[in-house]
Amino acid sequence: MKPQVNIMAVVDVIGALSARTLLDGNLCMVDNGDYRSTGQGTPALCTLVCPGQAVQWTALAVDLQTPVDIKSIRFLDPLGGEGVAWQPQHAAPIAANGGFPHANGSDASLSNGEAGAGSAGDSDTLDLDVWIGLVPPWMTPGVPYKYRLELQMYEGDNSIMHVDLPALMSV
Amino acid sequence: MPQQLAIIVLVDVGNAIADGTLDGNTYLFDNMKLHGSDGQGTGGLVTAINGAYWADGSQASEQVLNWLPYSLGSIPPTVPRGYQSDRARQTDREALAELDALAARPAAGADTAGRLDKIRKSVGTRIKTTRRTSGRLSNEKVLDVTGEVVGDLGTGSYSYPGPIITDIYGEAVDEKIMYPAEYGSPDMVTDGWYWSATVDTSRPGSYAYTMRIQLHKLVVQDGQALWHPVNLTCTSSLRITSEPKRNAFTKAGMGYLPVPMHAPPTEGYAGTDAVTESARSTG
Amino acid sequence: MTAKTRARETPAPAKRPISITAVVDCVGVLATGSMSGQLYLYDTNKAGGSAGFGTEELQTKAAVGDKLLWNCLALECEAYVGIDAVVIDPEVCEPERKVYPGTDVAYWTGIVKKLPAEPVPYEIRFLVGTRAQSVPTTLSPTLTG
Repeated sequence: MKPQVNIMAVVDVIGALSARTLLDGNLCMVDNGDYRSTGQGTPALCTLVCPGQAVQWTALAVDLQTPVDIKSIRFLDPLGGEGVAWQPQHAAPIAANGGFPHANGSDASLSNGEAGAGSAGDSDTLDLDVWIGLVPPWMTPGVPYKYRLELQMYEGDNSIMHVDLPALMSV
Repeated sequence: MPQQLAIIVLVDVGNAIADGTLDGNTYLFDNMKLHGSDGQGTGGLVTAINGAYWADGSQASEQVLNWLPYSLGSIPPTVPRGYQSDRARQTDREALAELDALAARPAAGADTAGRLDKIRKSVGTRIKTTRRTSGRLSNEKVLDVTGEVVGDLGTGSYSYPGPIITDIYGEAVDEKIMYPAEYGSPDMVTDGWYWSATVDTSRPGSYAYTMRIQLHKLVVQDGQALWHPVNLTCTSSLRITSEPKRNAFTKAGMGYLPVPMHAPPTEGYAGTDAVTESARSTG
Repeated sequence: MTAKTRARETPAPAKRPISITAVVDCVGVLATGSMSGQLYLYDTNKAGGSAGFGTEELQTKAAVGDKLLWNCLALECEAYVGIDAVVIDPEVCEPERKVYPGTDVAYWTGIVKKLPAEPVPYEIRFLVGTRAQSVPTTLSPTLTG
């Protein structure tokens, strides 16, 4: 078993911003896990992992010239229905100071637009973020846990987009 | 991942040649406006390079700089390179076709002279090949800014060749902050050659550098045209900062991923159907 | 070197067209949906008195009979930017779209027909990335006599 699985979100930034969607081939996700992940090369990547493995997400622009950063990764609340973010305080992270970014009560990404507009102080340090964590022991094997991947491309009203399609699944 | 950082050097070639300096005739841009670069679109660009390091102090990301020199008021860089040569051949073929037509149907004398003059203009002016100019600019024709060949150089409506960076040097290089070099590439936008550098972000600070840029002015000698090189310099600077990487989930050390404690239902949750709308832009 | 063989510089020309170049931050335009803050305009008539270089409100100094030529380039070299239209009082100038012969790269050009005493504002509409609708200038560049 690899100690770490890497998930890469490859984004056609110009295409996504032009069409205002991460679908239609503008987002392509791949991982290098040990098991048979499904949906490789699509936004609906389901990455197979083992408890204790580290998982790291990275965003990369296809043309390498345009900026793209991960703004948030949130696992969806299985009981709350589509599009509702799981609140991180429901679980205790093992790290000290275990707060989570972008999980404040206002939840801007769900307010349908304007998310991140004018939040310059936040987005200009997103490149310092390392999206890495350990697969917890409490995941039910064989069940995909979907997450919302929110990406920031440059700044502005149209700069933040998300998909709710990718998932992690414990083997 | 290495972020490719581009610095565009836009030169008002005509004015720079007339003034004998790039000062006031060069406009610099980079794609790091959000990183805090200053002076976009002016001659005083300060390029911000934000490095990052790991907890052990090692450099976490590699920053790569690319320089792209463009000419203001010339045929734009989006027109395929080799265009001058293509147009030279194309206009030759057109002129030969016209000469054929003229020979096949000899008309009245005055008319023939007029048509020959027209053909002479449409053939245009080919750049003389000398030992010094052989290669890139030789044996091409002088084109105007709309891509037509120039028959009468006196009007000055020709398009200047793009500026060429011939060296990058100065403090940032002497201090080993960046390692610039010219590279070959299949990239048509840059004529297959471009200047690139990797940057050492471990020593924050401001570092100046100088670009030596070669322009070409059209010189007519004994009725023959040639592009005469004009070497000028312009300066810019890098402002390097570096900050530590951080865990985005915990803001501290490694932790468990924030996966829900209760398992998702096995139906109606996985899969890609009926959820495509949720992937639309939030904006 | 004799006078006869000395290289002669071509004279600074009066008939040289005035090129107006728009440098566009395509990603910025697409992310914000506006040209505001994402456009830098230049022309080749600085010596003739043009002003506002590098801003969205370039003031191009021109004269009746001058040939104007608009083109653009993208700050990100792999992004597409084009001019969809140059909208100006048709009594002053009627710009039309042309392509560099043998290519699909377009430019806009027109002759200054008339120039009133006060500056003439105009609008440029840009095609950016693969976005379907063009994006107009937020502020107006001008032609001045």
